[in-house]
Amino acid sequence: MNKRPVYPFVAIVGQDNMKLALILNIINPTLSGVLIRGEKGTAKSTAVRALAEILPAIEVVKDCPFQLSPGEALDVCRACPHIECSRKLLHQEPVETMHRGLRVVELPVGATEDRVVGTLDLEHALKKGEKRMEPGLLAAAHRGLLYVDEVNLLDDHVVDVLLDSAAMGVNTIEREGVSFSHPARFTLVGTMNPEEGELRPQLLDRFGLCVHIEGINDPAARVAIMERRLAFDDHPEDFCARWQDESRDLVEKIARAMELYPQVIIDSPLLYEIASYCLEVGVDGHRGDIIILKAAKTLAAFNGRTEVQKDDVDAAAQLALPHRVRRQPLQDIVVEVDRLRHQKTAQPAAGV
Amino acid sequence: MFNIAYPFAAIIGQDRLKRALILNAVNPAVGGVLIRGEKGTAKSTAVRALAAVLPRIKVVKGCPYACDPDQPWNLCPYCRHHLDRLPSAVRRVRVVTLPLNATEDRVAGGIDFSRAVKTGRRIFQPGLLAQAHRGILYVDEVNLLDDHLVDIILDAAASGRNLVEREGISYIHPCQFILVGTMNPEEGELRPQLLDRFGLCVEIVAEADIGQRAALMQLREAYDTDPQGFSQRFQPENDKIANEIQAACQLLPNVSFPPHLRTLVSEICIENHVAGHRADLVIEQAARALAALLKHHEVTVDDIREVASLALVHRQRHLAPPPPPPEPDHDHQPRPDHQPEQNLESNESPRPDQPESQAGSRNPEPEEISPDDQAALDRPAQDQHRRENAVEQIFAVGETFKVKKIASPRDRIRRRGSGRRSRTRIAQKQGRYVKSTTVLNTGDIALDATLRAAAPYQRQRTSGNGLAVVLKPEDLREKIREKRIGNFLLFLVDASGSMGARGRMTASKGAIMSLLLDAYQKRDRIAMVSFRHQEAVVNLPPTASIELAAHLLQEMPVGGRTPLSAGLAKTYELIRNYLLRECAGRPIVIIITDGKANVALGQEKPKAEALALAGRLSRDERLHCLVVDTESRGLVQFGLARELAAALQAEYFRIEDLKADTLVNIVKENVK
Repeated sequence: MNKRPVYPFVAIVGQDNMKLALILNIINPTLSGVLIRGEKGTAKSTAVRALAEILPAIEVVKDCPFQLSPGEALDVCRACPHIECSRKLLHQEPVETMHRGLRVVELPVGATEDRVVGTLDLEHALKKGEKRMEPGLLAAAHRGLLYVDEVNLLDDHVVDVLLDSAAMGVNTIEREGVSFSHPARFTLVGTMNPEEGELRPQLLDRFGLCVHIEGINDPAARVAIMERRLAFDDHPEDFCARWQDESRDLVEKIARAMELYPQVIIDSPLLYEIASYCLEVGVDGHRGDIIILKAAKTLAAFNGRTEVQKDDVDAAAQLALPHRVRRQPLQDIVVEVDRLRHQKTAQPAAGV
Repeated sequence: MFNIAYPFAAIIGQDRLKRALILNAVNPAVGGVLIRGEKGTAKSTAVRALAAVLPRIKVVKGCPYACDPDQPWNLCPYCRHHLDRLPSAVRRVRVVTLPLNATEDRVAGGIDFSRAVKTGRRIFQPGLLAQAHRGILYVDEVNLLDDHLVDIILDAAASGRNLVEREGISYIHPCQFILVGTMNPEEGELRPQLLDRFGLCVEIVAEADIGQRAALMQLREAYDTDPQGFSQRFQPENDKIANEIQAACQLLPNVSFPPHLRTLVSEICIENHVAGHRADLVIEQAARALAALLKHHEVTVDDIREVASLALVHRQRHLAPPPPPPEPDHDHQPRPDHQPEQNLESNESPRPDQPESQAGSRNPEPEEISPDDQAALDRPAQDQHRRENAVEQIFAVGETFKVKKIASPRDRIRRRGSGRRSRTRIAQKQGRYVKSTTVLNTGDIALDATLRAAAPYQRQRTSGNGLAVVLKPEDLREKIREKRIGNFLLFLVDASGSMGARGRMTASKGAIMSLLLDAYQKRDRIAMVSFRHQEAVVNLPPTASIELAAHLLQEMPVGGRTPLSAGLAKTYELIRNYLLRECAGRPIVIIITDGKANVALGQEKPKAEALALAGRLSRDERLHCLVVDTESRGLVQFGLARELAAALQAEYFRIEDLKADTLVNIVKENVK
């Protein structure tokens, strides 16, 4: 393997919230993403790139441009440019599949719309005189992670496209003579520096979780960061080998949590607790409730439990609500949700 | 579909939304529904779920336009030629999704490229409008839809057919669809014409009941873990709804509308000050659908009452709409220039000839006086020296409101940038591909259009290199791209002592904050300059962070004299630097002041100097100025801001004129 080694995820110092949010999303892709808000140089990008190494494997049809699992979407296969495998699928013959890790697809800020959603395949049109669609980044990101660095700087019309597919898990193309739709369920991971301007509310809501990170103030931890970084830069292979065991432990823990997740149950008092949490803090819509429930269940699974506890709910709310709390226009995003809840519930009590 | 939709029956609450959708399914003549609501309130989920409960209709088998064999007068060209043998089939009404990034050729339809290459003939390939005939055309986030697509849809919706004249093709086919849109008003409002097209409108909010919310969470989680099992569990209930709708469809032609109720409908419409007559028709059709749904043969008063609210939400207008803003007054008579410049506050000369705009329905002054302003009121405003020595004050930000549309005029210059304020042609290879052109100058080839142009000639052309398509220079088409770019907004804020009087600063801050909010939605870059005491300060150099500006605004102190000319000079400096970098830029300068200049830069009188500077600023045509007059309305008015506006050739507003027309008034203006 001559791939350049990636800084191991487990070797990242601190930033526990961010790491937790990312891991929860791997265990449960329906959490629909993380938004990482923070200053420059706080290991945002490092963490996302490092994720690739600890992602679980999935089964995909070999060379499928849409990352489908066998038989997932025959409608797509019917119009797929890969004639060979689509023929096999439609005749219910076995197709070649392979196992590979989930992919992290990067969406650069300057990406054009046609590359994101897909477009007309020029080569094919010229050679064969037929229209065919060329899949874009959204097709590549299906079942994987779509990573947008500096998501707040993304062009507006690209954001519109993301909104659509992130919400519905389908990418519909009706452009340049091509009419096509294919599944596009991805975990949206975005990083942003709030100083450069805020995100549009609608897009903000599409991120399941939101974490706020800042530089670490503990001198010992800062030293550790420098030491590890230096060690990695000098001998990447050695460094990675040293962290291999911990990495493997984490991968196994994630795999166990994924197995456990369907068995996790939640008591109805806790459901009420979630609902009243959202009502008291003041959240638009129901996505906040749903995400807290999912995150709490995932947390329980990650900790090897099959029952959700009150702590899980509180921790989940910390991750799911900061960007959903109804704000005064132009007010900053709340960082500490639990304190806000105390404030809000304390006020009416004092009044009475 | 590869995604199993959330079952319609499993949606908790949102009864009005479900009712509105079902009414449309029963009676297409209702004319669609617009769903407005905050994020995460099952807007899109409900529409997608609707597909499974829609009634079945009879169509010509294999016809891409879903012609109705029982309506020989309303057929597509192909079916018309084969009237004698039209095989029919029965299928559910379709929901066709119009994605925001669709291009014109796919919406309206265009030449079929593959067949043109093979046969050398121009054959029409139906677009989304064809698929949506007799079905539902669904646009998610409809307020973000591009104008050129909105135009096509409006045209088709109004005429009931789609006429295509492009790429050497001339084709017409019937196109009657139900328009269903969802939108989050936070992202901006809808174009009035499009708004009026929607028969019904539902405003939805999240459930407030804890029990409902808990149930909702559980259902959603159950669906996400096992979509298939979940939808099977709800299948019987879903089928029940589908059957009810189907039965209502069959009953609908037999539902009668008692003539005396028509008077009631028109009374309701008049009572609610509804613009136009579409509401009357929509109410009648929706009431019939409701009656059919309830298995009645005659529409009752209750039916009408129930549907009226759905049909009137977006058409209603208030009893006393705010007066239309006065036109910017460029040519009002020059004032005799005899006032002492240093002591304007004490000048008592009343000005009866002042063009006084009619008082609005509300006067913001009395209710916006905070304790701070009371203090300001108590201070004798006449005393120049005391005012100057007074401690600087920081006023609260007053009430914010929605700002009316401010944009630079559209032109053909290509620009760079992004944002949402002014629409412009764009030179970079980004932005939305709107249409193609034969004029070549950017090198941004529109492949699809080029291929379509070349396709019919392929049988005559032969290639030596094994390619199926031979392109000639005359086939080449380029993309025309368009996007909205944010403008550069410069706020020039008067922070002098006179602004502190009588709560003006509170109201002004409210106005500035409103403009900032607007700038935020439109992704503008902004800068802020304020002037007080002897000088002008750049509080905020050009930035995209509106939050920063909002903070600064909250903390901006007020006090001292009014160096208006210094402010204008600083503005000139900033704008000049900006225009040097971006020669195609179109900055907008917003000046918030009462115009009472009393400090000069040089030897001239302050006011004359300010006006001269203003004249110089106005010479650059790329600059667009707005003057917001903060002078309070009373017996004594100086109208100095108005003079300043005239010198700048700027638009002139009072704070209350800045308020955007509400949703309702937009429609009203449009209908007029």
